[in-house]
Amino acid sequence: MPAGPLSLVSRSPEETRELGAALGAALRPGDLVSLTGDLGAGKTALVQGAARALGVEEPVASPTFVLVREYRGRLPVYHVDVYRLDRLQEVRDLGWEDMLDGGGVVFVEWGSAIGPLLPPTYLEVSLTVPDADETRHLEVRGRGAGWSGRWEQVADRLQPWGAA
Amino acid sequence: MLVLAIETSTPQTTVALGTEQGVLGSVLLSWAKGHSEIVIPAVRTLLDWTEVDLRRVAGVAVGLGPGLFTGLRVGVSTARALAQVLRVPIVGVPSLDVLAFAARHSRYRIAAVTDAKRGEVFYAFYRPVPGGVARESDYLVGRPERLVAELEATREETLLTGGGALLYRRVLEEAAPAVEFGSVSSAFPLAVSLLELSLPRFYREETSRPEAVVPYYVRKSDAEINWARAARSA
Repeated sequence: MPAGPLSLVSRSPEETRELGAALGAALRPGDLVSLTGDLGAGKTALVQGAARALGVEEPVASPTFVLVREYRGRLPVYHVDVYRLDRLQEVRDLGWEDMLDGGGVVFVEWGSAIGPLLPPTYLEVSLTVPDADETRHLEVRGRGAGWSGRWEQVADRLQPWGAA
Repeated sequence: MLVLAIETSTPQTTVALGTEQGVLGSVLLSWAKGHSEIVIPAVRTLLDWTEVDLRRVAGVAVGLGPGLFTGLRVGVSTARALAQVLRVPIVGVPSLDVLAFAARHSRYRIAAVTDAKRGEVFYAFYRPVPGGVARESDYLVGRPERLVAELEATREETLLTGGGALLYRRVLEEAAPAVEFGSVSSAFPLAVSLLELSLPRFYREETSRPEAVVPYYVRKSDAEINWARAARSA
């Protein structure tokens, strides 16, 4: 089964969090989710929902200014933002390799910019803002071979938000 | 001269205290949770149980890697802070040297090999010499197959020591003519080896200022982040 893309629609930040929670419930140790989308598109809201589904109880805030936040849920949850970085070495200096091997789930905002550092298999979510209102369009796809076997489950979980 | 040695470049956290007369004690945890939560308590336990006042420590030795990022950061910053507070000299030693030193009685050439994660190993080649080992290569990182190719190219009997060698034993066994494997008890660089290796450097005053001691990263990315493709917008 090809791993996407799934075209989804969220009508509010709360809905983006619910969508994130549905996605988070499908994640396993070692998974990485790359998020792309303009400021305010809902990247952090999506991670908030996913982190909640992964058992994180503390509040999840944007990592833009601290670059990385780490949470303890059922699994370790790492939330990284590379937006303010310019060199791959700076990403490594955040402890990137240890995060990938940390037995948890890594969410990386603007992950598509750091291609050489991404694992062979990861999930890519892009969020776009079509109008001035709160509606968001999302595209979710699996990169690399590893997601095709799990795609049916992901598609099922995200089906409520499917674009008509 | 009383030296405190700290080695955290692998999953193992280990600290040791000793002098040129011998080891007073060592604490070693091979697969404990976070280095950050263990290093300081390990040092404190060691000092308590050996009844040594921290202020008697006259030098700090630390393993510099290459190794796992978080452990290295914790070990090196702890060693630097201690050296600074105690106003004592510090010696940084590459962790692969520490690993190879423990195998110095080998009849063969030595390859120190540690797990670099992401399917790769850190490694370097050494030759046993009287009193220690002499490094014969750079510190390298690569897939185990690359190490096999290097072993086969030189066709020399080699002792492969370290957790990386044990992890990829199946692959490395294919290297001809002959490789021998170190034991699980020497899978990680030991603080007692680091202690022994560092003492002559303190006597020769080959020490560093704390701020000059930095982890040894073999993986370096000079590349810039590809913002054009990702279209980072204003």
